[in-house]
Amino acid sequence: MPTRPVEDLPRHRNLFLMVAAPTIWAVHFVAAYATTAIWCEKVGADTAGLTWLVTGYTVAAEALIAWFGVSMWRQWDYMDDQDYIHDGATDEDRREFLGHAGFMLACLSFVAVIFTTMPVWLIGSCA
Amino acid sequence: MRPSDCRVRVSPGAPTLKSLTPAGCAGRPRRAVFALVAPALLAACGGPQSALDTAGSDAATLSHLFYVMLAGAVVLWLAMNGLMLWVWRIDPRPMPPRYARRLIFAGGIVFPTVVLAALLSWGLSIMPDQRAPGDGLRVEVTGEQWWFRVHYWPEGATEPVRSANEIVLPVGSRSEITLEADQVIHSFWLPSLAGKTDMIPGRTNRMSMEPTEPGEFRGQCAEFCGDSHAWMAFTAKTMMPEEFDAWLAAETGPAAQPEGALAEAGREAFMAQGCGGCHAIRGTPARGRVGPDLTHLASRLSLAAGALPMTRAALVRWIEDPAAVKPGAKMPAYDHLAPDTIEAMAAYLEGLE
Ligand code: HEC
Ligand SMILES: [Cu+2]
Repeated sequence: MPTRPVEDLPRHRNLFLMVAAPTIWAVHFVAAYATTAIWCEKVGADTAGLTWLVTGYTVAAEALIAWFGVSMWRQWDYMDDQDYIHDGATDEDRREFLGHAGFMLACLSFVAVIFTTMPVWLIGSCA
Repeated sequence: MRPSDCRVRVSPGAPTLKSLTPAGCAGRPRRAVFALVAPALLAACGGPQSALDTAGSDAATLSHLFYVMLAGAVVLWLAMNGLMLWVWRIDPRPMPPRYARRLIFAGGIVFPTVVLAALLSWGLSIMPDQRAPGDGLRVEVTGEQWWFRVHYWPEGATEPVRSANEIVLPVGSRSEITLEADQVIHSFWLPSLAGKTDMIPGRTNRMSMEPTEPGEFRGQCAEFCGDSHAWMAFTAKTMMPEEFDAWLAAETGPAAQPEGALAEAGREAFMAQGCGGCHAIRGTPARGRVGPDLTHLASRLSLAAGALPMTRAALVRWIEDPAAVKPGAKMPAYDHLAPDTIEAMAAYLEGLE
């Protein structure tokens, strides 16, 4: 249980920060598919540029997700008390719960964004 | 052992029920069910319309994928159930939380991520081959309600060879298949040769097929398209290249002349009844393009897009009332004609090899 007091800031209560990483995953997904569709329609079969473009989206998305992941990890504050059950009605439990969930969602989103990009790398054609 | 042997007879002074039950009776009902069902299940894996009984390179790739996934699923199933058996029955004792957490991390996060990544890479690496460009013959297939319009475009052709409801392909080369649709979405699926591709109105989709063995197959529309969707099938033949060339030459030619008085009368009735307004028979005044081309109707393996066998009786049944065979069929019924007239038309059509 609490070993050192942490000040509970508004951002520690913010649900949107917890779901920020999956939101980036969703935006990346739509952007990658839309770009591919438009590219294949307007530019045609030469997909080298498309591969770079979507890879660029991926790098940007992963950087953002990683940033949220780290900040969620800090909010979870696991190393401090190795606490992974947060069922109390306290500020600390809420803060660490949101951090814990947000961190795991960020890990999932990180992997998912790579999976979304794999078709561009492995197929690399409009067919 | 007769089934009656399994019935337990209780007579005065009999030993316990258990010892009365003959050995082998305990598993009987289940084994009987399995014995009945297994041949049916296994038989379903073969045949002219099976993705597991393949005659084309793309279908072979898909069935390989299926068997690998199946084997993986079986191994996983055994491992998971074995693990449950182990921790609940064989050696139930509490596990230190540290181990439990590691197990969850390794088995629930790392393992699925790695396996999914591997499967995804593998799947993505074989996907483009399924759409490899064809070399040589192009076949243009249009989904209609509820039949398939088929045009062959051999290399250099300026006009297609028109046919319907049957796809014939040469073994050993990759044929390009272009897919269109008339009114609604259909899907073109010939499981023995390749995966399926949708046919979408206003769009030309493409796929290709590389038959590896000669044979006869069945395909099916795989996207609900109205009343007779279930009756919208087609047959397919694959032939060695020389045989295919001979077939294509014959298919390009005009229809056979009627043989005999009955067929001759049938031909006249066909023209007189206006069938030619919807159907074409090359070499005759019949030039309609609304319905299937009938030039070489009788050389096909089935009638009315897989709905009926190619026999005279079936032709009579079809002409009398198509909608009785295929609900909603877009061909009028001719049951007002004299049975002799219909019989004659059937005889004529039966001769269109
Ligand atoms: C209004 C147009 C129309 C007229 C007129 C018409 N048909 Fe048809 N016919 C069709 C259509 C459409 C189909 C395909 C129906 C289906 O399979 O769902 C068809 C299918 C057939 C088939 C099966 C073709 C195949 O590939 O297996 C035969 C045989 C046939 N018609 C014979 C006749 C005869 C004989 C007549 C005249 C007595 C006739 N049709 C008049 C539209 C017409
Ligand atoms: Cu259909």
